Amino acid sequence: MHELRMELHSTDRAVKVDAVKKVIASMTVGKDVSMLFTDVLNCVQTGNIELKKLVYLYLINYSKTQPELTLLAVNTFVKDASDSNPLIRALAVRTMGCIRVDRITEYLCDPLSRALRDEDPYVRKTAAVCVAKLYDIAPDLVEERGFIEILHDLISDSNPSVVANGVAALSEIAESSGKDVMRITASVLQKLLAALNECTEWGQVFILDSLAKYTPADGREAEGIIERVTPRLQHANSAVVMSAVKVILSYMELMGSQNSDAIRALTRKLAPPLVTLLNSEPEIQYVALRNINLIVQKRPNILENEIKVFFCKYNDPIYVKMEKLEIIIKLVSEKNIDQVLLELKEYATEVDVDFVRKAVSAIGRCAVKLERAAERCIAVLLELIQTKVNYVVQEAVIVIKDVFRRYPNRYESIIATLCDNLDTLDEPLAKASMIWIIGEYAERIDNADELLETFLETFEEEDPAVQLQLLTATVKCFLKNPEDTQDMVQRVLDMATEESDNPDLRDRGFIYWRLLSTDPDAAKIVVLGDKPVIEDDTFKLEPALLNILIGQIATLSSIYHKPPDSFVVRRRAGLPTEEDDEDDEEDDDDEYDEEVRDSGAGGVDLLDMGGMSVNDHKQFTPTAPMTRVAGPEKAGGIEVFSGFVQEGGKIFMELEFSNVSAGQDISTFAIQLNKNAFGLSPANQQVIFQPPISPGSSGTTRVEMAMNPAMQVPTPNGQNVNPQIQVAIKNMHNNGVFYFAVNLNFECLFSADGEMEKTAFIEAWKSIDDRHELYATVSDLPADSTSIEDVQQKFAAYNIFFIARRPVPNAEGQEVVYFSMKSVHGMTFFAELTFKRGVNAAKVCLKTEATSYGGLAKSALESLLRGD
Amino acid sequence: MIHNFFVLSPRGDTILAKQYRSSEMGAHERTHTEAFFRKIQFWDDTKSVAEDAEDISTTSLENKKRVGDAPPVFVMPDGLTYFHIRRNGLVLGASSARNVSPNTVLELLSTIARIFKDYCGTLSEEALRKNFILCYELLDEMIDFGYPQVTRTENLKSFVYNEPIVVDSVPLTGNMVNPKTASAAAVHKPVISSVSANGRKTTGQQNSEIFVDILERLNVLFSNNGYVLNSTIDGCIQMKSYLAGNPELRLALNEDLVIGKHSGKYGSVCVDDMNFNDCVNRNEFESARTLSFIPPDGEFVVLNYRITGEYPTPFRIFPSMDEVSPTKVEITVLIRAEMPSNHFGANVLVEMPMPQGVVAAASCSLINAPGTGHASAEYVAAEHKIVWTMKKFPGGAEQTMKVKVTLNKPCTTQIRRQMGPINMCFEIPMYNVSNLQVRYLRVAENMVGYTPYRWVRYVTQSSSYVCRL
Repeated sequence: MHELRMELHSTDRAVKVDAVKKVIASMTVGKDVSMLFTDVLNCVQTGNIELKKLVYLYLINYSKTQPELTLLAVNTFVKDASDSNPLIRALAVRTMGCIRVDRITEYLCDPLSRALRDEDPYVRKTAAVCVAKLYDIAPDLVEERGFIEILHDLISDSNPSVVANGVAALSEIAESSGKDVMRITASVLQKLLAALNECTEWGQVFILDSLAKYTPADGREAEGIIERVTPRLQHANSAVVMSAVKVILSYMELMGSQNSDAIRALTRKLAPPLVTLLNSEPEIQYVALRNINLIVQKRPNILENEIKVFFCKYNDPIYVKMEKLEIIIKLVSEKNIDQVLLELKEYATEVDVDFVRKAVSAIGRCAVKLERAAERCIAVLLELIQTKVNYVVQEAVIVIKDVFRRYPNRYESIIATLCDNLDTLDEPLAKASMIWIIGEYAERIDNADELLETFLETFEEEDPAVQLQLLTATVKCFLKNPEDTQDMVQRVLDMATEESDNPDLRDRGFIYWRLLSTDPDAAKIVVLGDKPVIEDDTFKLEPALLNILIGQIATLSSIYHKPPDSFVVRRRAGLPTEEDDEDDEEDDDDEYDEEVRDSGAGGVDLLDMGGMSVNDHKQFTPTAPMTRVAGPEKAGGIEVFSGFVQEGGKIFMELEFSNVSAGQDISTFAIQLNKNAFGLSPANQQVIFQPPISPGSSGTTRVEMAMNPAMQVPTPNGQNVNPQIQVAIKNMHNNGVFYFAVNLNFECLFSADGEMEKTAFIEAWKSIDDRHELYATVSDLPADSTSIEDVQQKFAAYNIFFIARRPVPNAEGQEVVYFSMKSVHGMTFFAELTFKRGVNAAKVCLKTEATSYGGLAKSALESLLRGD
Repeated sequence: MIHNFFVLSPRGDTILAKQYRSSEMGAHERTHTEAFFRKIQFWDDTKSVAEDAEDISTTSLENKKRVGDAPPVFVMPDGLTYFHIRRNGLVLGASSARNVSPNTVLELLSTIARIFKDYCGTLSEEALRKNFILCYELLDEMIDFGYPQVTRTENLKSFVYNEPIVVDSVPLTGNMVNPKTASAAAVHKPVISSVSANGRKTTGQQNSEIFVDILERLNVLFSNNGYVLNSTIDGCIQMKSYLAGNPELRLALNEDLVIGKHSGKYGSVCVDDMNFNDCVNRNEFESARTLSFIPPDGEFVVLNYRITGEYPTPFRIFPSMDEVSPTKVEITVLIRAEMPSNHFGANVLVEMPMPQGVVAAASCSLINAPGTGHASAEYVAAEHKIVWTMKKFPGGAEQTMKVKVTLNKPCTTQIRRQMGPINMCFEIPMYNVSNLQVRYLRVAENMVGYTPYRWVRYVTQSSSYVCRL
């Protein structure tokens, strides 16, 4: 080390350079050489740019761990920033920006503003990026010093690299601040288009990406821009091509339908470059395929004649093959199905198991998609089943079940073949599918009961999905053929209800049991009811999501097929959309649930009806969302609905009793609430229905609630509040007591003094840590919640106060609205709602200091928006 | 844009790592790159691979975890998206937390790989380790705050001061011995002019030379009866320029060249699509099919083109298969070279996978046409495949291989489907299938006494040349 130090102080430049290199070498292998800091720093006083660069490399490395040392270098930076050599000026500016020490940033401003106006383009270009760096450290400083305006000026710079970096910096600032700093005006647009032809490939990507965010004024402008962008499709760099495709696709939307000729011409132009991307390295192919997957969903006609290029090559990496298969399924049509089937059949004989499985399943999906080709697809599947290869058979069975769901009662002749292969099945999904088929077509399979019997032997060891299917299939079998299967169904029900500890299985077992014992006919209707025909799932992204993603082509979003806010910046759980809905087992479950719900509302207490809302919603006057909280068998012949509402500043619990079988007129009750998270207690314990409720009719009354801190259960910080309120009611006529629990709808607690000043709101909004934000997306809004005006009006009735609204920068048609509210306890909540024109959904973002209650406030807003 | 850049050795050690953005999450840190390396080395997408019985299919499950199966873009548990490409065994990677353009990052990574090669002469672990300061200097110029900046070799020259330490290039593998087909990429020589290929500083006149390759890679798929099912040509014109003074060049292609499908006249050269390097001026392309450009230093692709559909395949493959007895299978593979007889296929390699674990013995016999160089065929038990090699395969000739396979259990469909497909690799020097020609390549302005050496070559290679069995 000492030796090194001596060498660093050597007068011979070559020795010095070597010494610094040695220092850096030890640094990169992880040795601590920070004790040489001052010695190395001394070397910076040199005109030799090679040496200087090395010293700067060293400085950047230690600026993070040893910020106080870096301060020593500030003078050097400032001096170098006005060096006569532009390379050194740029080097100083670049390095300063990399050193993220707060105290340095102040010194950075002056040299930076000089550098932004430097005569040398190399320095200006470096300075432009440096503004983005500075914004990352000290956004206020950037705005204060007017650097953003200077960046705008740089867009009209004579040097295309400077323009490109200016655009990149502005886009970055716009993205991280959410402010509209990158507004494209007509003149800016012209400059960008001009620079597009001049600058480097990377610059072209930056410019194209910002063009994609711009919305042309009309179809003609859009066409004009497209014309300038189209030559980029022939660029050798795939990034340029993809970004150009994005611009064109986004603008095509705007050109509208009156321009179908132009659009047709464009679609013709788009196909060759997209196909060419598939001839690049596999990595690029993968990205291209993920994007093409979106494009064919949006505009299938672009590539409709190119299906052949998506056929897999023998030496394609597996990730490319999988993506190609997806696209083949999307492009398959009656014209090319024969060709595709030949190809898929070939894939099914390859060695990679995953790929083979996907190919087999693809054949089935073709059958589901193309009715007229279904028969041919099934023939191929049968052929594959004959190979007796374990995983091929299993996959085929799974997908054939879907085919049956799609075309009921058409291809049952193949069941025999399937039954021959029962023993090969060892995967839960395949077994469950097979059992479903057996149950569904029990009457056509001679030995259905025997087949089920074999499965039942191992009932306890099976996967839950298989158990559920076994249960259902046995019941179906019993309903179709009661004589022979009485024992079996009894045994299954026993196993499901008594031996299993899986609640789903138990619940379903109980439902069947009860159905079978009380009303076998109803059971038939429920269990053997017609199932809805499943649909082709090839276009599985929702149109709204697809539109968002089309705008995100050539970004990571398009790889993950998720909107950017679900994984960028705030990477938190909870995607607004469910992506994958292929699981048909699940469909089955849903369907049963529904069927049971419809017929079982009469009195099956196994089902939790707590979530169902039954009241009629009146517009813009607060109403209590009534929930059924107790049934007659629990509440002494009374069916109870309950909910909370605020009126005239007072909070009421609304009670609706319906006298089902109480046996007499009822009118007088006493009420008591358990301690709850809100401190609510009845102001008056007596509940009187006037007029009394005669048997068979119902009545409504209100109980005024008072806030009683003694009744409040404190919620530990960081935990979510339990909205449940436990209620005891005493029937004064017969002294019978019954209990129920009702969830408080939080909006009834918003007080009338929750209005805020705009500035106070902004302050408060900013002061709350982003980590305390809560998100939700409410889709399928009712008609009265889609316009901001309506929502504003509706919210006002609930003491949710409108603060401000503004359009979202860089996102056409999006608008955010801010609301504030305050609970009667004095907790404040702030909400940001994002609406997009033409999209029937809203995004809710809620901030509060009272984090425990945030979840409730958020769900209150959601349910208000939904109108339930 | 990108937050980190790193280069990992084939064993997963970090060779270079650079952080462009400060954040708590750092892919430049060893633990992250190690986790990342494990992930790409043992990519396993389907977490629940069924543990099958001792069926044959398990054998294929075992090699589930294969290098190269990981997609190039994925999220790691640290919340960053990782991108990577592989070059010469090295892994070049980058990570980002933003919604960046994946194409840009991947293109940037390959550009970096190319620049490193241009500057260091070769792209290898040793070369990068020896030249790491140069590489860091290059990285500083190429990327700022994660945004790509200057990425052209000749533009970088004015900013880069370190000089390369030349590493002896790895001896070329047997496949590439033919100097006529070794691509321009195989010229291992740093572009920094003061250093020559052997590392000594040259003082005298530099050789002014430019290498031009018209390279076509063929993707062909034959059905088992010899019909062409799918065929594309992936072509490019690439150059490696060592011209002093960067003069403007003019490159002329066939005059009858047609771009776009379904519009070609009979007999003309018709390509589906063509794309061009940034530096190419296409003003005269429409009228005279002439391109002009100032060649950047180092390796670069002037243009790429793509042709699908009908073109004469240089080799046709006709396999046939006979089950002599339940445990004996005879496979005959006949290959006919359909290009003119003055051309020949070099380094021809034909591979045919055999099922694992059931082949007791396989004997191969060859019927060679005259003019074939050294040829051999054998069953490589360790790799479960039949390998047939020919040094030279003259045009117009026919070669036949007969394989007698003895199985240790009766042949089932399951075993049968694990045979094949036949995969063929070859190179044909001085021949291209598409007929795209360079009419001329000349220096635009007339400079007296300036006659650069121009090496123009046509090479046809197999990319995926497969025949189903």
